[in-house]
Amino acid sequence: MLRCMSTEDDTAGRTVVRLDAVRKEYGATIALDGVSLEIRSGEAVAVMGPSGCGKSTLLNMIAGLDRPTSGTVVVDGEELGRHDEKALARLRRRRIRMIFQFFNLLDDLSVLDNVALAARLIGVPAAQARRRAVELLDELGIADRQSRYPALLSGGERQRVGVARALMNHPVLLLADEPTGALDSKAGEQVMGILMDLHRAGQTVVLVTHDRDLASRHANRLIEVADGRVVGERRLKPTQ
Amino acid sequence: MGAVWLASRAAVKRRRLQSVVIGLVVLFSTATFVVALGLLAASSAPFTNAYARGHGAHVVADFDMTAVSGAQLARAAEQPGVEAVAGPFGKAVLTITENKAGFPFGPLTVVGRADPAGPVDRLDLWAGRWATGPGEIVMNRPSGQGLVPRALGDTFQVPGGPLLTIVGFADSVSQSAGAWVSPGQIGALHPSEQQMLYRFKDSSTDAEIRSGLASVTAGLPPGALVESQSYLVLKRAFAAGPGAYVPFLMVFGVLGIVVAVLIVANVVSGAVVTGFRHIGVLKALGFTPNQVAAVYLTMISVPAIAGCALGVVLGNILAKPLLSGAFQGLDVPNAGVGRAVDVTCLLGVPVLVAVAALGPALRARGLSAVEAISAGSTPRAGRALRAQRWLAGTRLPRPISLGLGLPIVRPARVALTMAAIVLGVITVTFATGLTNTMVAYGKAQEANGAVQVTVRAADPGDGQTARRLGDSETEGLLRSLPGAVHVTAGSYADIYLGSSQTTDAEFLRGDSSTLGYLMVKGHWMNGAGQIVARSDFLHQRGLAVGDQTTLDLGGKRTQVRIVGEFLAGGFSVFCDWATLTELAPDQQATDYEIQLAPGTNTDAYIAAFTKAAGTGLNATADTNQTSVGTVVITSFASIFTLMLGLIAAMGVFNTVVLNTRERRRNLGMLKSIGMTPRQVTFMMITSMVPLGVIGGLLGLPVGIIAHRLIVPASARAAGIDMPASMMHVWHAPMLSVLALAGVLIAVLGAFIPARAAARLTVAEVLRSE
Repeated sequence: MLRCMSTEDDTAGRTVVRLDAVRKEYGATIALDGVSLEIRSGEAVAVMGPSGCGKSTLLNMIAGLDRPTSGTVVVDGEELGRHDEKALARLRRRRIRMIFQFFNLLDDLSVLDNVALAARLIGVPAAQARRRAVELLDELGIADRQSRYPALLSGGERQRVGVARALMNHPVLLLADEPTGALDSKAGEQVMGILMDLHRAGQTVVLVTHDRDLASRHANRLIEVADGRVVGERRLKPTQ
Repeated sequence: MGAVWLASRAAVKRRRLQSVVIGLVVLFSTATFVVALGLLAASSAPFTNAYARGHGAHVVADFDMTAVSGAQLARAAEQPGVEAVAGPFGKAVLTITENKAGFPFGPLTVVGRADPAGPVDRLDLWAGRWATGPGEIVMNRPSGQGLVPRALGDTFQVPGGPLLTIVGFADSVSQSAGAWVSPGQIGALHPSEQQMLYRFKDSSTDAEIRSGLASVTAGLPPGALVESQSYLVLKRAFAAGPGAYVPFLMVFGVLGIVVAVLIVANVVSGAVVTGFRHIGVLKALGFTPNQVAAVYLTMISVPAIAGCALGVVLGNILAKPLLSGAFQGLDVPNAGVGRAVDVTCLLGVPVLVAVAALGPALRARGLSAVEAISAGSTPRAGRALRAQRWLAGTRLPRPISLGLGLPIVRPARVALTMAAIVLGVITVTFATGLTNTMVAYGKAQEANGAVQVTVRAADPGDGQTARRLGDSETEGLLRSLPGAVHVTAGSYADIYLGSSQTTDAEFLRGDSSTLGYLMVKGHWMNGAGQIVARSDFLHQRGLAVGDQTTLDLGGKRTQVRIVGEFLAGGFSVFCDWATLTELAPDQQATDYEIQLAPGTNTDAYIAAFTKAAGTGLNATADTNQTSVGTVVITSFASIFTLMLGLIAAMGVFNTVVLNTRERRRNLGMLKSIGMTPRQVTFMMITSMVPLGVIGGLLGLPVGIIAHRLIVPASARAAGIDMPASMMHVWHAPMLSVLALAGVLIAVLGAFIPARAAARLTVAEVLRSE
């Protein structure tokens, strides 16, 4: 089982994410329409909804990858709207990490360098970063793939590299955008197992999915989104 | 910097094709720039540097000994504008009647100097020692002519004077004398003039030189100044050789840099566009905007710096033989690219590349992560969908209609690629026109190959057997042999023509008007007292057709009139034989040029002559060798054309590579529904052909205009009046071929990546999706 990697003070109940009346427009299209919600530390939250409902946009807002048209987004006590791009980048390095549906690994880097790069960004010496990357790859069962390039890996292996990269700097918040969307069911189960291990170890996880079964089995809270609005929210008891 | 370097290094290493294209483009561009700048520096710096080192005289002035004393000259030189002065030195003009160490007979200016140093005109005593005692002489010869072993210790018998032994060789940057003796010896040579050497504080223009000379002669008796020589005349003569090539080469250099910048901008912006997803991922990982820009700048800079360094090396390798050729016979030691040029290129080219990369890098910096990732993962149907649909509806074969639609998708990339093709076509057109003009110029230099046989009399003074036949008998024999149409007899001598500097001249008789020298102004000689002069010589000396001047041969003078200006040829001046008869009645012709009737066997003619003439007259067939200038320009034009054509083709190559990379999915789909590899190749090449056609149509007229403007301007700079006939080098068939140059560049550049695209397997494409 993966150890809890967060070094922050993860006292249960602390608000890690707070969205207040967040609205996002792309031209005439309204992707988010006044979304307000809170996520506390240690939660495993699943954001659900049909394609195009705005759930990925919501995740991008929390990650600071995109800015709302109006409303405020606060992550780990920082109001993202007050930060410039440079400050947002620094926030993403340490406190918010993201796992993507299509992995978004850097094709030019080996598996080991893809993972170690995250630590190099915060100034960790190269040797130390590589040591930690090897540990993580080992824990995720792909240490033997460390010198390969992403193009030579299977989907499940690529996503594990993505997870290792996300965990590298002990993030406060782990965001996962359809992490199993591009995987077969077996590989998907393995990746979700890893994420839930992390959750059980105290990691705050926000998961975007359109798979109700997956959400109900792994998350302890479900937020339903439709047409850019939060239309439902309920507590769950994960079955796994 | 660790993460930035890690990401950049990996990108350079893994994107080998992109890195290699950038490296090669910069390599060839830098080499082009090195050669062009090297020539520019070499054509001006050697003279200036040598003149500064040797404290060359700004004015060499000769004064009549009977009109002014040395003390008067020294007092007159004490002027505020005079920086340094040397002299007075006694000056005599000797007449050499025997040939020693390859020196031509004729006048020899000898000056009495105590030593080779001094405040003005410091001589480079490069062989032997200075003349300190009686009977010793030091000859003025440029270093490195290989005369020392034979000439040191040789003797001269001065007619009616002492026997002089050559004890040294020295070089004067001011060309102040042909030889030097000790001050004690000059008296025995009957000097008639005193030489003064001046350096002025202001000496950059003719007016300043004139003003300086006026100040030092103001208090002297009228007529005391016999003649004077400005250093600007020497400078112009020096610049006229290599200076003639510089404007041409700078055009190539500028074209090369512009093409390089365009291609680099194209390559870099292409890297950004195809790297959208990469940029998005970097940002999502926590790279700041500046770090993203730094990654992209580093990614371009690494191959660019490597290309630049290799380009400097290649440029030096190419420049060495080319510059040696360009400076042949101009006494420029170590012709090559200077360190300053190398440093300029090593620093300047990467800056140029960085500037070209800055725009796209800033674009990468400004992209939001979401925008970048989604743009990278969702290929757009294309901005020019309507045009593509229209093309699809035409009856053109599918690979052609699809291929023609490809460039419309990326207008900026297409514009940069087309600009490179246009510049490539301009280069090819300009270079072709220039080469043709230079070939015509070379033919004019060789008098259009009019002469088939040359006969040269042996030189008894040089240890050769004396001629058996006399001058008139020789001419008679040459005329009487079968096949001879025209015979011209000549004698070469150094003369003075309105200046203290000697001039190479040939006195001609017989059928000289048929020699085929291309006249720019006036006419060929047709009577006594007439001379014709070469265009550059007239410009250097400030003379013109119609001028009357004094011709001095061995101290004897006569008035001559310049009746014609010819474009190019071996001698600066041709004089009528009657003039030689007046000045040196006993002088015989030593050279004969024979024009044969068409179909005459040259070897048979030479054999018949040799048999009849016996010893002492050497007949040779005239080989029409291409002139050095023509060879130099043609070499430069060919190399630049090749290099710039290659760079432009690389631009096309890069564009097709990027198009292929972006459209891998479409290519996979097309192959999956049955498009053959050959059709894919055809489609990708077709996508570049319109660019080649348009590039050709735009580049051709610009290249012709460039030729029309630059060639005459360069000729003027070299002091040559270029006749209009030499500019008429364009013919319909040649223009048709040149118009296809753009298509050729486009097809050559597109072929390899098009073939690579055709070889993509569907499975490979799907795996990368």
